[in-house]
Amino acid sequence: MSQPRSSYAVGTGLFIVLGFAALAYLATQTSSVANVHQGNSYTVEATFTNIGQLKERAPVKIAGVRVGQVQSITLKPGHDVADVKLSIDQSYDHIPQDSVATIFTSGLLGDQYVGIQYGTSKQTVAADGTLARTKSTQPLEEMLGKFFGAGSVVDNVGGSYTVKAGFSNVGSLSAGAPVKMAGVVIGSVQSVHADPVKLNAEVVLSIDKRYNAIPDDSAAAVFTSGLIGTQYVAIQPGGSPDALKDGDEMILTQSAMQLEDLIGKFLVNGSSTDKKDAGNGQSDTPAGKH
Amino acid sequence: MNPHPLRRGNVVTQSLTQIGLCGLFLLTLLAAIPRSMRYVRETIRQLWFVGAMSLTIIIVCGLFVGMVLMLQLYHVLSIFGGTSASGMVVALSVYRELGPVVTALLFAGRAGTSITAEIGLMRATDQIDAMEMMAVDPIAYVATPRFLAGLIAMPLLCCVFCAMAIFGGHLVGVTWLGIDNGTFWSNMTAVVDVHTDIVNGVLLKSLAFGAVVSLIAVFQGFTTPPTSEGVAYATTRTVVASSIAILALDFVLTAFLM
Amino acid sequence: MTDPVRATPDDPTLVRIRGLTTVLNGKTIFDALDMDIPRGKITAIMGPSGTGKTTLLKHITGQMRADAGSIHVNGANVAELSREQLYKLREGIGYLFQNSALLTDFDVFENVAFPLRQHTKLPEVLIRNLVLLKLQAVGLRGAARLLPNELSGGMARRVALARAIVFDPMLILYDEPFVGLDPVALNQVLKLIRTLNETLGITSVLVAHEIEAVKRIADHVFLIANGKVVAQGDPKTIANDGSPWTRQFFGGEADGPVPFQYPAVNLAQDLGFAGATK
Repeated sequence: MSQPRSSYAVGTGLFIVLGFAALAYLATQTSSVANVHQGNSYTVEATFTNIGQLKERAPVKIAGVRVGQVQSITLKPGHDVADVKLSIDQSYDHIPQDSVATIFTSGLLGDQYVGIQYGTSKQTVAADGTLARTKSTQPLEEMLGKFFGAGSVVDNVGGSYTVKAGFSNVGSLSAGAPVKMAGVVIGSVQSVHADPVKLNAEVVLSIDKRYNAIPDDSAAAVFTSGLIGTQYVAIQPGGSPDALKDGDEMILTQSAMQLEDLIGKFLVNGSSTDKKDAGNGQSDTPAGKH
Repeated sequence: MNPHPLRRGNVVTQSLTQIGLCGLFLLTLLAAIPRSMRYVRETIRQLWFVGAMSLTIIIVCGLFVGMVLMLQLYHVLSIFGGTSASGMVVALSVYRELGPVVTALLFAGRAGTSITAEIGLMRATDQIDAMEMMAVDPIAYVATPRFLAGLIAMPLLCCVFCAMAIFGGHLVGVTWLGIDNGTFWSNMTAVVDVHTDIVNGVLLKSLAFGAVVSLIAVFQGFTTPPTSEGVAYATTRTVVASSIAILALDFVLTAFLM
Repeated sequence: MTDPVRATPDDPTLVRIRGLTTVLNGKTIFDALDMDIPRGKITAIMGPSGTGKTTLLKHITGQMRADAGSIHVNGANVAELSREQLYKLREGIGYLFQNSALLTDFDVFENVAFPLRQHTKLPEVLIRNLVLLKLQAVGLRGAARLLPNELSGGMARRVALARAIVFDPMLILYDEPFVGLDPVALNQVLKLIRTLNETLGITSVLVAHEIEAVKRIADHVFLIANGKVVAQGDPKTIANDGSPWTRQFFGGEADGPVPFQYPAVNLAQDLGFAGATK
């Protein structure tokens, strides 16, 4: 009888230990006392006038690829600027010294991260060095102003012209979505419907009259704001001397990317460009959720 | 003892009688704690039965709750491009509400019913009377150890549940849907507070739920008529009463703790 | 409760009941019942079903409080004992439940060892020997590692008996010890009760219906009906004492002082015949 008794005790002991281990995990890994686990990495300092909502452990990206994370955010003593320490993976140690560190936001309400755009200097930034050139975050109000302000301009002036664009796949693009050029809203999607003859999606874009010099060989692409946020139509200007006119059709289009491609791109770090091309080539496959 | 004090009057009177008797029973249980100190072994044995034996269901359910929560949140948040916040929302909703409540409901279904049925059968087969006759206090030997075991097991189970839910959320969010791993954790750690969420949310709530569920289970076992129908009836009532008590208490605790 | 009768250890009466009155759910179970259970003897309590024989045993052990009257067990008034004193008294009383009431969580050995483990701090070797000796006494030493659900009814009852005598009590109460036993098991239990009484001098009180078995074993018989003792004496002579109760009970007649009909209104009235009055 002493055998089963002690096995109860052992089992119960294990259960209690497991419970406390889970508690310790919750308390240390998921709450604010968490320790940052680091592999081989080096630290670079950057100073920002406004970090917005940037948090510790937020990602640091180069060309959209995650290379490290924010280690600490402190206020620089005696100055009203934030001192951000970036912890960057050892394998990315050739960052030019004149690179620009910018605080970006993924999507409209998405999270903020630090993006590093390479400079041209031959000298690379050393461990514990400083990235002198930084761009601070844009305040939300400014972004909202840009977003809604442009929209309201379209509405107020009432002067807009429409162009058509055929896409083999629009993803979840819907009427009312913004049309952007260089990231600035210049109009909105008027309608999205399937073309019964060409068997593709015909999207009617309503563009503000002020932007009447868009080259007629410009490309329209369905993009996603943030990693997988809402979709919008981006217009990439071409080089033709003739401008788009009301009722024109845009020839060059780039369809929405599919979830599979996005995840693939995200998971397989560093090969984003190859993936992108492959994704465009397969754009006649059925639409993904996003 | 008059065997049918619970069958008199209408529903309101019956419920009030139940609650009153349950309260008195709690006092009896608490008063028996010093006497049940002799039966630590029995408490450990019960901790094994109500705690360790409930681990499987808690782990599996925690995993799925975290996974489905992440999936749902992801679809809603992707509308706003705010999917990176989903890890944080999973953590908060699991710590503050889902963890303690779902664990307590599962605990009532898994351990509460078995406590009630076991005590009911012990009464039906005169085992309780036999202990009484062997000069072993059944309250101190049978009731209090089960109550204490439930009280200790619930917070531990709840911690395991929450950890599994976070793991499940991470699995779906980061591994499958492709949310950034660092963003997932940084958002979570930025918002989760040890005091509000883990101590007040996970530990305090689950401790209260553990007390309520095991009290109801033991009480139903001890007060049911010692017959087969009586035991079946009491088992059902344990689940019903526990569920109502858990959700009502959850509201009260949330209102006070938040 | 001022009872002048106080039993002493050398009092020939072990359990002395005076004026016991119990009302349960509006039904009078005992009505000023008096009873003296002699020390060192086997006493049988008989009576029609529902007369509260089991209730009487529960009164003796203090599991139920009577509404009036007193019960002295070995000189102590059961109703006045504190919980600790009552538990102390119960360690001296063995109780054999009708359905054995073995603890289903434990095997036979642990069931018998249970009282020892709870009340003593004896070394494991001593507990083991004590338990095996008691199991040997009931002939089940070989079944020590079986679980209660693997035992037959007769075996379970013998295990329960071994558990009841593990503290060498002064008094054993048997609640219907012969119910549901085949003749062989019944004879085994009868022999055990006799042996325990003769070898250890344990006072035995048994509640039973089996007249033949009682005649073979009991030294003294109480016949209870309507909350009172209606007849008592030696089992061989009591059957012939001429009272209508004993004649019905021991003669096996269907109708008599114990009515065949449950109290009811006039049959004709119940059937709704016109003109039928009470």
